[in-house]
Amino acid sequence: MDITINKQDEKTLVTLNGRIDTSSANQFQQDIAPLMEGDRPDIDIDCSGMTYTSSQGLRIFLMLQKSVIARKGNLVMRNMNPMVKEVFDITGFSNIITIL
Amino acid sequence: MTKKRFNPITDKSSEIIDFLMASPDMPFDEALRFKLRLSIEEAVENVVCYAYEGGIGWLEVGTSLDHDSLILTIELRDAGVPFNPLEAPDPDVSLPANERKVGGLGIFLCKKMMDSINYQYVDGNNVLTMTKRV
Repeated sequence: MDITINKQDEKTLVTLNGRIDTSSANQFQQDIAPLMEGDRPDIDIDCSGMTYTSSQGLRIFLMLQKSVIARKGNLVMRNMNPMVKEVFDITGFSNIITIL
Repeated sequence: MTKKRFNPITDKSSEIIDFLMASPDMPFDEALRFKLRLSIEEAVENVVCYAYEGGIGWLEVGTSLDHDSLILTIELRDAGVPFNPLEAPDPDVSLPANERKVGGLGIFLCKKMMDSINYQYVDGNNVLTMTKRV
């Protein structure tokens, strides 16, 4: 899993590439640590390169969303591939995170 | 039947998942492989993380394909603490984010992605069998 985080003024643009699975989840959690800081974050994640996530990825996205809500911020995930989107749909994550 | 026993299994999740995904019984279709990989990962992680205290123990995994019905069977067998993962209640997927618990989604995803999932405790072993028409 490769991740780029780009802070532009008020917005934080994130790009994900690869798989979030048992071998990459711990590193991914460390890599997104900068997103867990700051007031009223406005985070926009481009998921077009994310080819897979297991429940370990979902766990991290839920932690991120809880943290964003607690800081009165906004989190958007976009361009999700249909198979990854299905995982978000089945688990109800499509209702707790804005997916565009 | 493609079969292999891994021992010990500490930190071996990726190797075990890759072994199963490389089985000649596996389909080529990308969407099917996605669902199978996800189910396998969740089931394997369950054993690797929780079956053995201290993580020392074995896990035997295998696949078989019925060429008439095209039903793929994936079996996991371990000698860890007796544990039926199907007994855990499904998570409430309708709750808002702040009420959602972190975790508990793995076996739920297996149930949703596979056609059937079955647990038995046989001869001191946990045996989890998952099937999917491919």
